[in-house]
Amino acid sequence: MTKLLEAPHAARPAGPPGPAAPRTGAPITQRLRTPGLYALSLSLAFAIAGLLVAVVGKSPWDAAVAMYEGSLGSGSSIGQSIDQAAPLLMVAIGSVIAARAGIFNIGQEGQLIIGAAVGASVGLFMPGPGWFVLLMILLCAAIGGALWASIAAILYYWRGVDVVIATLLLIFVANQVVSFAVNRPYLLREQAVPGQTTASQSDMLRESVWLPRFGEYPGFNIGAGIFIAALLAVGVYFALTRSRWGFRIRLLGLNAKTAHRAGVGAVVVGGGALLASGAFAGLAGGAMLTGSGYRIQDGFADNVGFDGLLVALVAKDNPVRAIPVALFFGALRAGGGFLASTGIPRYIVAVVTALLVLAVVFPTAFAEIQRRRVARTTDA
Amino acid sequence: MIDEASVILASAVRLTVPLAFAACGEYIAERAGTINISVEAMMLGGAFSAVLGATITGSASTGLIFGMVAGLIIGFVHAQFSHRLGVNTYVVGLVLSALILGLTSFLLDSVKLDTNNQVNAVNIPYISDIPLLGPVLFSHRWPVYLLIVLIPFVWWLVQRSRFGLELRAAGENPQSADVTGIDVRKRRRQALLICGLLSGLGGAYLAVGEVGMFNQNMTAGRGFVVIAAVIFGGWTLRGTIAGCLVFGAADAMRLALPALGVQLNAQFLIAAPYLLALLAMMFLAKTHRAPGALGIPFVRGTA
Amino acid sequence: MVGISKHFGPVCACGDVDLSVAAGEIHGLLGENGAGKSTLMKVLLGLVTPDSGQILLRGKPETISDPLTAAARGIAMVHQHFSLVGRLTVWENIALGDRGRVDREHIRTVVREVGERYGLAVDPDARVEDLSTGERQRVEIVKCLRRDPDVLVLDEPTSVLTLEESRDLFTVLRRVVADEGKAVILISHKLDEIIHATDKVTIMRQGRVVGRRITAETDERALAREMVGRELSKWTAATAVGVMDALIEPGQTEPASGPQLEVAEEPTTADEPSAQEVSTPEGSVAADPSGATPSAAAPTVTEATTGVLLRIKDAHAISPEKIPLLRGLTLELRAGEILGIAGVEGNGQSAVGDLFSSLLPLTSGTVEVDGKTIAAGRPGAMHAAGIGVIPEDRHASGCVLDMSVAENLVLADLGGISKRGLLSRSRLNERARALIEEFEIATPSPDTPMRLLSGGNQQKVVLARELSARPRVLVAAQPTRGLDIGAIEYMTLRLHEAAKSGIAVLLLSTELSEILTLSQRIAVIHRGTIVGEMDRADVDVERLGMMMGGQTA
Repeated sequence: MTKLLEAPHAARPAGPPGPAAPRTGAPITQRLRTPGLYALSLSLAFAIAGLLVAVVGKSPWDAAVAMYEGSLGSGSSIGQSIDQAAPLLMVAIGSVIAARAGIFNIGQEGQLIIGAAVGASVGLFMPGPGWFVLLMILLCAAIGGALWASIAAILYYWRGVDVVIATLLLIFVANQVVSFAVNRPYLLREQAVPGQTTASQSDMLRESVWLPRFGEYPGFNIGAGIFIAALLAVGVYFALTRSRWGFRIRLLGLNAKTAHRAGVGAVVVGGGALLASGAFAGLAGGAMLTGSGYRIQDGFADNVGFDGLLVALVAKDNPVRAIPVALFFGALRAGGGFLASTGIPRYIVAVVTALLVLAVVFPTAFAEIQRRRVARTTDA
Repeated sequence: MIDEASVILASAVRLTVPLAFAACGEYIAERAGTINISVEAMMLGGAFSAVLGATITGSASTGLIFGMVAGLIIGFVHAQFSHRLGVNTYVVGLVLSALILGLTSFLLDSVKLDTNNQVNAVNIPYISDIPLLGPVLFSHRWPVYLLIVLIPFVWWLVQRSRFGLELRAAGENPQSADVTGIDVRKRRRQALLICGLLSGLGGAYLAVGEVGMFNQNMTAGRGFVVIAAVIFGGWTLRGTIAGCLVFGAADAMRLALPALGVQLNAQFLIAAPYLLALLAMMFLAKTHRAPGALGIPFVRGTA
Repeated sequence: MVGISKHFGPVCACGDVDLSVAAGEIHGLLGENGAGKSTLMKVLLGLVTPDSGQILLRGKPETISDPLTAAARGIAMVHQHFSLVGRLTVWENIALGDRGRVDREHIRTVVREVGERYGLAVDPDARVEDLSTGERQRVEIVKCLRRDPDVLVLDEPTSVLTLEESRDLFTVLRRVVADEGKAVILISHKLDEIIHATDKVTIMRQGRVVGRRITAETDERALAREMVGRELSKWTAATAVGVMDALIEPGQTEPASGPQLEVAEEPTTADEPSAQEVSTPEGSVAADPSGATPSAAAPTVTEATTGVLLRIKDAHAISPEKIPLLRGLTLELRAGEILGIAGVEGNGQSAVGDLFSSLLPLTSGTVEVDGKTIAAGRPGAMHAAGIGVIPEDRHASGCVLDMSVAENLVLADLGGISKRGLLSRSRLNERARALIEEFEIATPSPDTPMRLLSGGNQQKVVLARELSARPRVLVAAQPTRGLDIGAIEYMTLRLHEAAKSGIAVLLLSTELSEILTLSQRIAVIHRGTIVGEMDRADVDVERLGMMMGGQTA
């Protein structure tokens, strides 16, 4: 069974490339090559997407304009982009924690929807002042996500089931669990209103437990989610780099055996990291619930779990770097919502997103290969 | 009663076929040391391309070839990224899955596809009339018979051919394989190409064989069930196919139970194959031994 | 005639090396670890591409780009760490390097034939993982011989063999050379082996050939001098030579002699890896005892007064594959003594190392420190109980290559450098600087990634960290393996000092000479249990060797 000894990206820099270690004293042309490659592969990604749009007989220009309108064109669309970024960032933070511990959790999509479902039940059934219930929603959503992730953790540490496969399969189970809940009137399905048919969704949360919003409604306005997410990103960044806990996580991720010897237990620290990443995914679900959807239904997660994971990949496992990446991906998602008016299917956004990740992964991997090739001929 | 049983069994076999094609491929990829999670992408891409091909050429069987080519291309991309550039195989698989899901959804909304173009069913004369067994085994669309030929071939390829020997060495102990003069990464790339070919065929069969059309995200995680089947089978071909049958049967029950008047909730039945896969792994993961270097990227000079 | 000449790049493992080997001879290639022997052979096998130089076979220049070409040209190598795939059967492994169709029956017959011809019987249908190390090596040799190579290369073949198995091996080699006119290249750093088994010998040092001798016209002492490159004290020479007789004269022992810590390596600059670092594939070369310089008479430290500090009682353990690793191992260790555990590689030494690294849980039996039982296998338990470990494979469990030197110096002991869960950078650096100075670790800065340090300095980091935790017990597993002379001397000295300061030292080594140099008491491990024990003064090498081979004598 694989233990996933490698962090989920190609090349982790061997350390801070400070002046003390000028081993990679490559000529200037080589150092310029990597940014050049980035530019090249990113434009290639966009070009492919544009080509796709053109192939189906639509205008890439229209698509670009619509994307711009939907993401940056007006105050409200900028707000939209930022709102979209918040859950992405939360998921990404969790992914970073797991990845640093050498664990690849790819079931955020499931952890997110379970978190949201738990949050919805708290929001619907818990009495109390709005602010308190809101806090409880977010907290319980995080706990729900962590518990869902703990299934994979138990399967792995107790039975040796591969984390990647387990978290992946649990997504499908999670979707059905939530679907089950929103189809049962005694669980989360909305209460019947005389004269109306009910749908497979929960009731709407009362307004007092919604995340506060800032700004003017038709113009620029954003939810509080992004502030929470950004604060968490910075906090986790410091925790990972400055705290004992972060040190242990890193130690475990880089060398599990040495970690074990030094008293860092894989089950406690690694399992904890997996649970933490589930908690962040669940929190993202809670934030989506209280920030924009206000009710839960089938398909609630809407790929946010996967996209958040991709944010972490692009940000190279750095929570602070994940902030701009999440904003960018959020803008893409927001822009995608605007595509409907042009008749271009919004799925093109998913294509662009995936291509972008490949485009970002490629240059580092390529540089690593080059470095290794050079090393092999000189080192022997 | 016999009729009902044979209907359910026949449908179990039918639902197993796409899984089994892909599982043969995944089995090869894993024996070479790659946990290939882009098998989902390969199946989905294969399914879409098959319907697209069938629409363009008017022939569902040609569609199958389109599907295989699509799988092959995805396998090629995966192989280049993970066994040439050294990008983590899960990352590649995940991104490819997202890419293909987006791409097929996008194209589905943009292109007009045929909705009822299926490959021919072949009733093998006489024996297909045998009660119970006949409809279960000998009355299927022709690719099913291809599968029956394919399975022993895959076994031979992995267990008896030089290619298979080198493949297994690459999956078990790449360092040793390397000093013996085997190009480990190349073998792993080749395994992924074969996996793409077969998974593409599996997806294609699902689309132009069973369903006759393409729906958005029509594989819906079947690729991941295929991975579970390989684990379930303890990295043996026999076990892998048995795993596919189990998961196929679970799927068939989902469709058949309501017709039989058994009331079980839909969500449970949809989740059943995944739950079963998880349970199977839970009980078998420790007893089965995976290839020694499964999921570990090969870098020369690290022991 | 086989004439091989090999020139090799500038910053090199092998610089301008010429080597010629004639058919019908066993040619020894002698040198310390990092002298460039393995690299040279890798070039010959096509595993490493040389910067310059060429290979002449029968006078004709040949380009050998990969192992398959080498095989086709009649060059085969028996690798030090075997090139076999455990899960495959013997015949499958032997078919592995071929081309074309796999003919099972044919290969099985060939295996039997070759086995008979050379006296190397193996069952073609056995799984390699079920075989003993000696049998595996036989498979490896059959794999090479069945292709009827003209040149057979053996890389440190005896490091995993018992004395008897080694003798058998040399008989086979002699037959190969005498009856079939093949050429054999024997890579070794063991002088007695070279003297007994070879016809000619080429000595390498720091990537260059420093001598060519007819074996019959030289002796161990002369070879040792050439290999090490300076006159050796009697004690060191004996260690290097691997001739135990010299060591066994009790009484007058050598006082602190020879160049000691002045020899400590030059600081390795990060952008220019030293030749040593380049030439030593980390951990892949067996320990080299030659530089061991005991500063004082090892056996004079008294241990009579102190009680037992560490006790292992009837320890049993199995691997995840259910293979028994330890079978009732029992030993006792007193404060201030060095107990050497001798044994042929693969007899449970790694398991003992893992046990003390908290990596191996016991199925039965106990480990006690000071009478308190330690939970074996629980993360950090051994460390917390005051057991320091210098592990056999430092890259696997000794250090973290992608962390900085400073971080590697603290790993387990975050207490002193953190407050309320937060790490203090300044305290971390302070502590690191102190240790770097104390242990003379050559690093550009505490922030340098561990990966960029030479093997010797990495080992010093491990040593510094373990000693700075003030352990009661120090377990050193193959502490000098893969290190250059300066580092070996340093290591030896430090272990000795550690014992003097009252630490109980457990030394695990496959190099008998290393054990004999350092320990006061010697225990022999065989198949996961201690089969015998004796005081340094009573050592009888013949008996020791037999115990290592599994005979109780």
